[in-house]
Amino acid sequence: MAAAAHLGSHEHEDHHHHGPPEANRSSRVDPATLGMMLFIISEIMVFGAFFTAYFFIRVVGGAEWPAEGDHLPKLIAGFNTAILVSSSFTLHYAQEAIRKDNRRGLQLGMLVTFLLGATFLFIQINEYVHVGFSPQDHAQGTIFYGLTGLHGAHVTIGLVLLLFVVIRSFRGHYSSQSHLGMEVPGIYWHFVDVMWIVVYLTVYII
Amino acid sequence: MTARLRAPGLTRAGLFLVLGTLFCAAIIVAVREAYGYPVFADGGIVPKAQNAILLLSLLIAPLWFLVGLGAFDYWFYWAAGKRTRPEDHSGHGATSWKDYFRVNTDHKVIGIQYVVTSFFFMLIGGLLAMLVRAELAAPGSQFVDANAFNGLFSVHASLMIFLFIIPVFAGLANYVLPLMIGAPDMAFPRLNALSFWMLPIAGVMMTASFFAPGGSFSTGWTAYAPLSTSAPIGQMFFTIGVQFAGASSIATALNFLVTIITMRAPGMSFWRMPLLVWANFSTSLLVVIATPFIAASQFFVLFDYALGFNFFRPERDGDILMYQHVFWFYSHPAVYIMMLPGFGIISEVLAVKARKPIFGYRMMAFSLLAIVLLGFTVWAHHMFVSGMQDWIRIPMMVTTAIIAVPTGIKIFSWLATLWKGVLHMDTPMLWALGFITMFTLGGISGVVLAMVPMDIYVSDTYFIVAHIHYVLYGGSLFTIYAGVYYWFPKMTGRMFDERLGKIHFWMTFVSFNATFGPMHLVGVKGMPRRVADYAEEFAAWNLFISLSSFVLGLSTLVFIYNMVASWRGGRRASANPWRALTLEWQVTSPPPVFNFDRIPTVVGGPYEYGVPGHVHGIMEPAEEARPKQAAGASSAEEGV
Ligand SMILES: [Cu+2]
Repeated sequence: MAAAAHLGSHEHEDHHHHGPPEANRSSRVDPATLGMMLFIISEIMVFGAFFTAYFFIRVVGGAEWPAEGDHLPKLIAGFNTAILVSSSFTLHYAQEAIRKDNRRGLQLGMLVTFLLGATFLFIQINEYVHVGFSPQDHAQGTIFYGLTGLHGAHVTIGLVLLLFVVIRSFRGHYSSQSHLGMEVPGIYWHFVDVMWIVVYLTVYII
Repeated sequence: MTARLRAPGLTRAGLFLVLGTLFCAAIIVAVREAYGYPVFADGGIVPKAQNAILLLSLLIAPLWFLVGLGAFDYWFYWAAGKRTRPEDHSGHGATSWKDYFRVNTDHKVIGIQYVVTSFFFMLIGGLLAMLVRAELAAPGSQFVDANAFNGLFSVHASLMIFLFIIPVFAGLANYVLPLMIGAPDMAFPRLNALSFWMLPIAGVMMTASFFAPGGSFSTGWTAYAPLSTSAPIGQMFFTIGVQFAGASSIATALNFLVTIITMRAPGMSFWRMPLLVWANFSTSLLVVIATPFIAASQFFVLFDYALGFNFFRPERDGDILMYQHVFWFYSHPAVYIMMLPGFGIISEVLAVKARKPIFGYRMMAFSLLAIVLLGFTVWAHHMFVSGMQDWIRIPMMVTTAIIAVPTGIKIFSWLATLWKGVLHMDTPMLWALGFITMFTLGGISGVVLAMVPMDIYVSDTYFIVAHIHYVLYGGSLFTIYAGVYYWFPKMTGRMFDERLGKIHFWMTFVSFNATFGPMHLVGVKGMPRRVADYAEEFAAWNLFISLSSFVLGLSTLVFIYNMVASWRGGRRASANPWRALTLEWQVTSPPPVFNFDRIPTVVGGPYEYGVPGHVHGIMEPAEEARPKQAAGASSAEEGV
C-alpha cells in the first residue's frame, strides 16, 4: 500500500523499484552474527558490573565468603554445571546435523538442548528454595542471588530463543543452505554456558 | 473504532498501556493477598501497595505500550514459527505527519523522529533550567523549597543528557550515516524503530516524576546510593527511565556498528569514510561497552530500593563506593558518547566551509580510537573526594591529563584545516568555530580539574557547573546546532533563514559566555552547587548569571522559530547547496525513499576540497563506473 505510493513518486525516474537497491556487502561477516557478537559484548559488560559488585563486597570490603553459617551446595551446582555444559554439545550436534540436512538430528539435538537448559533452570530454582539464606540477609546473599539470578535470567532468555528454534525446526524450517536462524541463537546459548562456568568458579569454588 | 484499536499504532498502544497497568495492579494485588500483606483499607489501596503497583507499572507497562504500537509485531511472527521475511520496506517514507507517529523502519524518518523528540525534551529541560536560574536570581528562597529545587536540576540534567545530547546525535547520524556510506538503510531497520520508541518512554517517565507522590527524583543525574535507595518513589522514574534510554542507545549503537562494518558501498574502505562515520563508529563502541554499566548500577539501586537487597547497605557488608565506581565507569565514557559524534560533525562542516582537505585525516580517526581506549581508564577522577583509596587518585590524574592529548590533536588538526582556507562564514561555520573556542575553554578547565589538589579545592562548587556547561553546551550543543543547520537542507529540502541563524548564533554565543563564564569565578570563591540558597556576597553575580541565562533561553526560541518556519515555507534547497563531496549531498534534498537508485561507487577520499578534478563517489554501480575510470580504476579496487 505505502509501497505503491512510493512508486508514484519515482515515476519521473528511469528506474522503477519495488524496493531499495541491494546493499553492498562490505564484510564477509554476516550482519546478524555480528549483531549478536556485539550484543554479547554488552552482555559481558553487564556481568562485568555484577562481578565488580562482587569484587567490592568480597575483596575490597573483605566480607567473609560465604557469610557466617551459610553453606553453598558446590556439588549440586557442579552437577548442574555439567548439565549446562553438555547442552552446548547437544546444540553443536544439532548444528552439525542440519549442515548435513539431517532433520531428525536437528530436531532431536534442539529438543535435548532445550530440556537440558530447562533442567538446569529447575535445579537452580530448587537450590534457591533450599540454600538457607536470602538476598535480604547480607551483601553476600545479595551478590550470590544477583550473579546467579542474572545468569538465570539469561538462561531464561536463551531458553525462549531455543524454544522458537525448536518450534521452527519441527515446522520444517532450516536446511543445509539456510540455518542462520538457528546459528545466531546458538551463539547466545554458548555464551550463556561459558558465562555460567565463570559464575560457578567465582561464586562457588574460589 | 474497533479496527483502529486492533491495528498497530498509537491508539492500540494507548489501550495496551492501560491494560498493562491493570495487569501490573492485578499482579501486585494477587501477590500481596497471597502472602497476607494488607491491600485494601478505608475503601482504597494502601500506600505501600500503591507504590508497588506504580513501580511494577513503570517496568512493565512500557513494554505493553511497545507491543500495542506494533514494535514487536515481526518478532511475534517469527516466534510463532512462521516463515521469515526480510524487511519489505513497505513502511518506508513519510507522506504525512502521521507517518512520524507510527513504527516506521525508514532510517530517514527515524532520524527526524529522534531529532524532533530530543529537541522537545531539550525544551522541557531548558525550561527547568530557567526555573533553577529564577530561583537563584537572589539569595534566599523565591518560589520553590529546597527539595523541589533539587528536583528541578536533577530532571534538567537527566533530560539534557539522556534525552537530548545522546539521542540527538543518534538521530542526526541515523539520517546521514547510511547515506554517507552508500547504504539503502540501516542494518536492522526494525530494531532501529524499536530503539527510537524506547526514547519517548524514558523522557515521559523522567518528566512525569514531578507528579509522583513525594515529588520528582532529586538526587542529581548521578543518583548516588544510598541517597537514591532511600528516596521517595519519584527516584524510580529515573532508575527505570535510564534503563529504557540505555537499552535504546545500546540497540542503536549495535545497529550503527553492523551498518558501518557490513554495508559500505564498493570502494568505501575504512580510510575513505567521512569522519562523521568514524566518530559514530567510535561512539558506538563506547556505548556497547560502557552503557551496560549504568544499566547495572540502576538495577542495583532498584533491587536495594524495591526488594531490600544489600548492595549499598554497609551495615550488612554492602559497599557504597561501589555505586560510584560502576556509575562513573559508564558516565565518564558517556562524556565522550556526548562529544565524539560532535567531533565528527565539526570535521564535516569545517572541511566543506573552509574548502580544504581535513588536516591529518588519519590522525583524526586514530585520535577518536585513542579517546575510546583512554576513556575507560579515567573514571575515578570524579571520585577524588569520595573517600576512596588515596593511591587511585594519582594514576587517574595522570590518565586524565593524557586524554587531553588526542583531544588536542583534534583541535590542532581543525585549526590547521582552517589555515589559509577559503572560509565561508555562514551559520553552520559560525557554530563550528564557536565550538572550537568554547570547547577549548571547557577542555582547559577540564585539565585543571584533573589535577587532584585543584579538584579537591573546587569540588561541588559552581566551577564544576561552569566546566560541564562549557563542555556540554559550548561543546556538544554547539556541534548539534552546527549539524542541524548543516544538514537541514538535506533533511527537509528547504533552506533555513540565514539571517535568523546568525542572530541565533551571536545571541547564544554572548549570553552563553555571560551565563557560564562568571560561574568559574563564583565557583572558585566557594559557592556550592546543587544548593537552593547562597551567601549574600554572590548575589550580584548570580543576578547577572540569571538574566544572561534568560537571554540564552530566548535565543533557543529564535532557533525553534527558524526551524519551524523554514521547514514549512523556506526556499527550496538544491541537492548540494554547500558543494560538499560526501555521498549524502549527491542525492536529491530530501533524498529519495530508498536513498539511491543504484548503490554508488567510491573512488577517492571524502575531503579533497580544492583538489582539481577530485571525485569521492560516482553514482553508479562498480561494474559500470569502472570502464569510465581508466586512470582511477586501481584506486576503486583498493577498498573492495
Ligand atoms: Cu570524567
